[in-house]
This record gives sequence, structure tokens and C-alpha cells, in this order.
Amino acid sequence: MALQAAVKGKLISVIGDEDTCVGFLLGGIGEINKNRHPNFMVVDKNTPVSEIEECFKRFVKRDDIDIILINQNIAEMVRHVIDSHTSPVPAVLEIPSKDHPYDASKDSILRRAKGMFNPEDLSMFGAENYNA
Amino acid sequence: MTLTDTGDETTEINMNRVCDLLDKTLINQLHLMEEKMRCELNIESSINSGSIHLAKSRYIMGQNAVSIARLPVESSPEFSASTVCEITEVDNMKQFRVVENDAENTVNPLHWFGVLVPQNLHKAKSIFQNTINFVAECANIQMRLLENMANMDMLNEYKKTLKS
Repeated sequence: MALQAAVKGKLISVIGDEDTCVGFLLGGIGEINKNRHPNFMVVDKNTPVSEIEECFKRFVKRDDIDIILINQNIAEMVRHVIDSHTSPVPAVLEIPSKDHPYDASKDSILRRAKGMFNPEDLSMFGAENYNA
Repeated sequence: MTLTDTGDETTEINMNRVCDLLDKTLINQLHLMEEKMRCELNIESSINSGSIHLAKSRYIMGQNAVSIARLPVESSPEFSASTVCEITEVDNMKQFRVVENDAENTVNPLHWFGVLVPQNLHKAKSIFQNTINFVAECANIQMRLLENMANMDMLNEYKKTLKS
């Protein structure tokens, strides 16, 4: 029964600064599995970008993770890796941090969604009339 | 009426339908984008207030008492997350839902920081638990956004074939 329940729910992982990780782990999302792999990574100013990339790729490959939370300022450092992830699951969510407020213009998904509004599409709404 | 005329009429009707659908999908896309931004702002204010309580706990307990030094590391004993998410299907749409994990080896995260922890740490815990609900809501909107984008791509492709 316990095994069935464990299989049913999937994890929320987090890559973030100290406060984000401490906070979300307090919320109860942290786990260390039987292979001793944690589902969180604390990033500080000395963490190399390659390590963040590797961790993100590892989380994407894990089939027990459904949502990956990443601070937006950290996501900026590994933008190319995040942009290359297009499948809906695991969902990659860029979240603000205490020091870096949310910036919609940097969000990977919103930029893609905005990209759908090309001038040709908007012309049917009379967008050419609003160029001034 | 010739056969070619009937074909042209059908194409025009189809084109109108596709354009209508594209309009609706586009409007829906704008609503979803707005909803996502609103949700992210909820997460932001929630993280900010949670961080204030973490800072207050740090002030009471000491700088290193509420830090990554207290978090479990790879050599720590194995434990399961107490909060997990599952995908449910509502109205043919996949949705994330936050659920409590009923596995036996879950831990109380507050115990990492001591036995008698200040009230602020309890408050921070409940705020971040609430943030997880916002996160699930935001992930659901994101999933709908991606689905919407795929639909728009498909409709645009179909429109192109109708044009040619």
C-alpha cells in the first residue's frame, strides 16, 4: 500500500538560492532517495554554471520528478538548457527569489507564448493601425 | 453550380472556421499569459513573506541555525518528501495536484533546525506550504499555455494548407 502511494505521487524539485531551498524544503518537498540523490540544489555565488546545467539535466531525466522549480536569476545562467526543454512534464517553473523579483520578459514560456503573436497574426486585429 | 464552385465554398467555410478558432485560441493565450503572471506574483509575495520569517528565525537562533548547513546532504539517511504532486485528469486536461505523501519514512523538516524552534519558523513553514499550492496552480497554467501553443501551431499549419 505504501509502495503504491509512493509510486502515485511525484516530486517537486528545486534549484535555488539558500532561502528558496530552505523555505521549500521546510514546506516538505525535499527528499533523499535510496540512491542518495537529493531533489534540490543550493546555488551560491561560487557554484559553477556547468554544475547547475548538470543538475538541471539530471532532474529532467529523473522519472520521479514532475515539477522543477528554478530561481529566475539562476535560469538566466542556464537559459540555453532551459529553452531546449520543451516537453510539458517535468514542468520547469521559473520562480522569483527574495533578491530578484519576477521579470515576465525573461520567462522562457512567456517569451515563447509572446513569439506566437507575430505581426502577420496580429494584422487580423488591425495591429498595423497601432504602430504609432 | 459547378463542382469547382462547391469546392471553393467548402474551402472558404473551413477557412472561416479555422480563423474563428485561431481568434479564440489567441484570446485564450492572452488570458493564460495574464493568469501566469498573476500566479508568479502570488508566488513572489509568498516567498517574500516566508523569507522575512526565515530572517526573523535567523535573528533569534543565530546566523547558521537556519542555513544550508542544516539541510540534509547526500550522506544523510534516506527519507521521502512529505508533499508530492500527482497528475490528475480533469475534463480531459492533465492537472497537477499537491498531495500529502503517506509513505512511512517522511520527516518533519522543522527537526533539522532544532527541537524547540521559534514560532517564526513554524510560520515560514506554513507560508511555504501554501506557496507549493501556488506553484502547482502556476504549473497547470503553464501546461495549458503549452497546449494552447501546440493548438495554434496546428491551426496555422491547417490554414496554410487551405490557402495553398
